[in-house]
Amino acid sequence: MSMANLSFFFSEAAVNLRRSGITAMVTLFTIAISLVLMGAFLLATMNLESFLQQMQAEALVTAYLKPQVGLSDAKALRLRLTSLEEIENIELITPEQAAAELFSSSDDQQLLQIGITPDSNPLPATLRIKVKPGMRLTPLLERLKTEDEIDNISYGEDLFRQFQGISDLLWTASLVIVIFLGLASLFIVYNTVRLTFFMRREEIVIMKLVGATNWFVRGPFIVEGLIQGITGALISILFLFASYRFILAKLALFTPFFVTDIGLDQFFKLAVKLFMMGTILGISGSLLSLRDISRYSKSVPEGV
Amino acid sequence: MIQLQNVTRIFPNGVRALDNVSLTIDPGDFVFLVGPSGAGKSTFLRMLFREDLPTEGKVFVDGKEISSMPESRVPYLRRNLGIVLQDFQLLKTRTVAENVAFGLRVIGASSSIISSRVQEALEQVGLSHKRRMFPTELSGGEQQRVCIARAIVNNPLILITDEPTGNLDPIISQEIMQLFLEINSRGTTVIMATHNHNLVNKLRKRVVALVDGRIIKDEAGGTYAYE
Repeated sequence: MSMANLSFFFSEAAVNLRRSGITAMVTLFTIAISLVLMGAFLLATMNLESFLQQMQAEALVTAYLKPQVGLSDAKALRLRLTSLEEIENIELITPEQAAAELFSSSDDQQLLQIGITPDSNPLPATLRIKVKPGMRLTPLLERLKTEDEIDNISYGEDLFRQFQGISDLLWTASLVIVIFLGLASLFIVYNTVRLTFFMRREEIVIMKLVGATNWFVRGPFIVEGLIQGITGALISILFLFASYRFILAKLALFTPFFVTDIGLDQFFKLAVKLFMMGTILGISGSLLSLRDISRYSKSVPEGV
Repeated sequence: MIQLQNVTRIFPNGVRALDNVSLTIDPGDFVFLVGPSGAGKSTFLRMLFREDLPTEGKVFVDGKEISSMPESRVPYLRRNLGIVLQDFQLLKTRTVAENVAFGLRVIGASSSIISSRVQEALEQVGLSHKRRMFPTELSGGEQQRVCIARAIVNNPLILITDEPTGNLDPIISQEIMQLFLEINSRGTTVIMATHNHNLVNKLRKRVVALVDGRIIKDEAGGTYAYE
């Protein structure tokens, strides 16, 4: 494609966008609104995911060792596990320390009732494992289960599973919404380009008469779609960014313990995704509506 | 230059627009296509720029069999043809120069080539002084001359024209016809469908008469009469 062609496409697209005014604006804002909604869902999901990761990272994993594991074996295991990259530190709690902790915090009578006394101590040795921030919990748990000395692992699984469930649900909902809104926007772009195409049919007939290829005729429409897609994406990114910062600031005032921030790098990744979606929407909407261009660009209707 | 071999065109509604038409047109010829309305003149012309396809038979243009040509090659065929139709088909939102330039823009010509060729074509049709005007500011004859300028801006081998004087008065029609003769004198083959008895009778060029899709007369230096 020559530079002359490209410059023709862009100048034609600019003229046509100006001429079709309101129609072009409607398409642009439809893309922007769809992308804002898609982005909002993705952002909410990413935040929950980030919260979940934070929760996982802060979780203290307690590994209960088998009763027959001696202190020296427990120390050896602790040493072995400390080298794992997910682990920040490991504290070894001997059965005596565990019992002492229990007796300092619980009602002695209740403990006596379940058979725990300072002399007869059924508590196993345990490892309290602190996970490094940002590390995922599941692979670590899998790794811990392979250790023979470990009898049981506890990590607040109920709460974790609940949040994981919400996160999975939100991902599914986001996916459905992205697909649904994507198709809806595609349909609107398709119809707008179709409308513009019929409005400019005379021009297209002349283009074809003087030897324009189908791709040359499509060129300005594709550039129009591209401009609308990119502009819509940029509007949605700016709007989302401003709203997100605003909502985060408000949330921080009311629920400081719950607020997570996905960070600028994650937001940038989301912005890139929205930008790509806008571009693809604009171009594919145009391409779809121009696929049967030859049928509508004859100088005289067939059969006359 | 142009050859039709046993061309028949039957429309989906059963109308036989062309019926076993065979014809050869040599390079540099000037051919009038005459006949009553509905005789198949426009269908004949549309076959030449592949706007329509024969139901049977073959069409050759510049040695190439265009009826079986893939759709993607059609634009390249048309770049060697100039086409002028009865309704002027000018873009009202573009100036005279921009309308003429259109034929060069679509083939990706550079700005300098476009500028010089447009000037040349407008001079040939005597409208270079109106290059910045819009079609609506021109008379019918002038609009048709802009169409002719657009058709010749690519230096086509063949000029196909369908009723170019149909909407014009006799004096303007003569001027337009003079233009076609000049273009023809430079070697361009001209095929013109017309109902204009006077012009055909006056110029005494080759006349092909079509009636009910059949060629009933093909006469060098002929007249309009075909009944």
